[in-house]
Amino acid sequence: METIGFLLDGIFTSLQWFNLALLIFGCLIGLFVGAMPGLGSVNGVAILIPITFIIPPTAAIIFLAAVYYGAMYGGAISSVMLGIPGASTAVATVFDGRPLAVKGEAMTALTAAAVGSFVGGTVSVILFTLFAPPLAEVALRFNAPETFALMVMAFATFVGLGGDDVPKTIFSILIGLALSTIGLDLITGKPRLIFFNIPGFLHGINFLVLAIGIYGIGEMLWTLEETKGKVQMSKLSVNMKEVGRAFGALKKTIMAMNIGSFLGFFVGILPAAGATPASLMSYGITKQLSKNSKEFGSGVPAGVVAPECANNSASTGSMLPMLTLGIPGSPTTAILLGGMILWGLTPGPLLFTQEPEFVWGLIGSLYIANFFTLVLNIALIPAFLMVLRIPFAILAPVIFVLCVTGGYAPTQSLHDVWLMLLFGFAGYILRKLDYPVAPAVLSIVLGPLAEKALRQSLILSDGSMGIFFDMSEKPIAAVIMYIAIVLLIMPAFGPLYRRLFKKKQPA
Amino acid sequence: MSIIKKLALVVVSLSLVAVSSVSSAKPFSPKKPVELIIPAGQGGGADEIARLVQGVIEKNDYASKPVIPINKSGGSGGEAMTYVKKKAGDEHTLIITLNNVLTTPVNQPELGIDFFNDFTPLARLITDTFLVWIATEGKNTAGVETFDDFIDLAKGNGLVMGGTGSMSEDELLLGMMRGQFGFDAKYVPYSGGGAVAKGLVGGESDFTLNNPSEQMGFYQSGDSKALVMMTPERNPAFPEVPSSYELGYPDLEYYMMRAFMAPAGIDAEVEKYYTGLLHTVYHDDEFQTFNIDDGKLMSWLEGYGLKDFLAIEYEKHGEIIKNFN
Repeated sequence: METIGFLLDGIFTSLQWFNLALLIFGCLIGLFVGAMPGLGSVNGVAILIPITFIIPPTAAIIFLAAVYYGAMYGGAISSVMLGIPGASTAVATVFDGRPLAVKGEAMTALTAAAVGSFVGGTVSVILFTLFAPPLAEVALRFNAPETFALMVMAFATFVGLGGDDVPKTIFSILIGLALSTIGLDLITGKPRLIFFNIPGFLHGINFLVLAIGIYGIGEMLWTLEETKGKVQMSKLSVNMKEVGRAFGALKKTIMAMNIGSFLGFFVGILPAAGATPASLMSYGITKQLSKNSKEFGSGVPAGVVAPECANNSASTGSMLPMLTLGIPGSPTTAILLGGMILWGLTPGPLLFTQEPEFVWGLIGSLYIANFFTLVLNIALIPAFLMVLRIPFAILAPVIFVLCVTGGYAPTQSLHDVWLMLLFGFAGYILRKLDYPVAPAVLSIVLGPLAEKALRQSLILSDGSMGIFFDMSEKPIAAVIMYIAIVLLIMPAFGPLYRRLFKKKQPA
Repeated sequence: MSIIKKLALVVVSLSLVAVSSVSSAKPFSPKKPVELIIPAGQGGGADEIARLVQGVIEKNDYASKPVIPINKSGGSGGEAMTYVKKKAGDEHTLIITLNNVLTTPVNQPELGIDFFNDFTPLARLITDTFLVWIATEGKNTAGVETFDDFIDLAKGNGLVMGGTGSMSEDELLLGMMRGQFGFDAKYVPYSGGGAVAKGLVGGESDFTLNNPSEQMGFYQSGDSKALVMMTPERNPAFPEVPSSYELGYPDLEYYMMRAFMAPAGIDAEVEKYYTGLLHTVYHDDEFQTFNIDDGKLMSWLEGYGLKDFLAIEYEKHGEIIKNFN
């Protein structure tokens, strides 16, 4: 039980007044950068790295981890209140968070996001505390074939995302996949699908550009048409009854919390995946397994809890390969890793034994950061809700400006702003034609990861697909692949099966 | 001796120029944050140096505006080089080099990059070298103790090598070794040297040609071991690893340059400013200590010396690519 001792030391370290002040300050900054579209945890941490050179490494990592953490909470705020994802990790939060707000249940959505984040963060940090060394081993064994199998599983869950209209969903997935292949070929480095030789396509399509376009601009067009400009956001009162109702709604989200916490953590520890795929996969799987999966997308608390739980869980998880293998599990941890090297620490298998104060200080601070962000979030909900009292005529231009800056920020190219507007318009048309757009957004995120893993695997196997089904050589990949196939078949045959099953019952 | 004299002369004349420029026109200094483009993924050797340079500049206030590292890892450096080429005349963009800046313009003529005219070379700070790495518990390399053991094994069996992308330094090196030792390997590309190192220890590949820093964590924990270092002499950071000269393979010598370039078309004043900034970073104690501990060779080069060096390396790489194909 040496671990407990180290952990207590870590918690005490992060409760020292200097560290605690930094932690709370970091959480607040994180909330802000997370909530601002285009500024995500990556930018937040990158901008703040220089500050950390003047404080001790343990305080520095506590501060930056708090920023990272706070951003995971903050992303949900603009997703719910404005319908634009504040950060890439909060895209899936829009799917149900926005409809809830429109229905007048923003309070429920925000509470679900805060509590979901807290549960995900706490479960993952417990898993981290107990199983860090063996899990590092798992991350090490998780190579190209396993990654590809996991991606196939993710895609399989998306087929169920668009409701029963499977052909339309598959069409949407294929559009996303096609868009994700634009740019430079991952293996050979050759440019491909560079339309009209516009150099802006060389860096590919940043998925935030698509997500902000479809959800920000697309939804604004949709709202304008529906209401002819006379949008009256539903009135809100914050009283104890509302608060009670919001917490009551969480009872139905236990399954989403379980899936989000464990899946999020697992996806997080895999190098190069990170919180964005984790939140999307968690949403997909929760929906697939839910009894009332048809209601997902129209505003159910579980649809907010699943991605929010997973993104916090994954952000903790992604610290594991960073610390033990020196491999960042997400873009933000890549920046943290750079910081660690500069603070004079060598990430790797020996870090836990050589720098216990640093590692356990970080882990301890995650427990404390979780608690404080939850408290801050719940306390600030009334302030966030004020946004809904702003008339649409004022809010719409603000949303538009946020969309444009959000589209510009990641790559700093105007090309992407035009693309975003184009996607916004296309998203609006797709919506009118009743095509689900979420699967397209999901596939543009996972497409490049899947392609790279597939091609690496096929080089290893000399082109044989058998590498994904070989139970003796690659058992992890094979098991995931079989689960994926079952998940893929379920929605396609589900309606058929249900019909057969129902016919039998009266007999 | 003559090199040192020349260097001393360069330093003296530079400082004179610096003094005279102070007295005449207002010297250049950045007006907004400087983008430092990294033509590789996070966690690799170039990334590490770029972030170290950023840190040293920030910590000591060497520059009036911050330096912001940006990874553009697409297409073996193609994305980064295209970006910098488009920035011609921009006074707030720098690029750190891997050797892929020497190979990508040749391999991807469709990008239309002219290595000698699209960039302004500023300075070379470091040369990094390569080692042949195997996992200590590699299932296909069990029993391999020396580089000669490894060659014998590799000749008979198709080993898998993890690398950093098509036609990158390590794949060219594999090509060189194929010609020299008569073995070939299956080449699997990863995103960045960090992922390559993890692939080796995770058992996906049998050997890699990583930089010292990319394997440092695993080397210190005993998960990976190096068989040969591709330099004339041993390196103090890896005292037990023989050099290729010692083993009798002097042709197996290869360096990775960590140099900095600006876009083409910048004023001499701007060029001087950044070269001076890099010079300050180079002589920073922390920068020196960090790199020496990490097994790198400190090798400052600027001006005509750098231009000659780049021309020679460019030609050498053209030759390697021709033989490779």
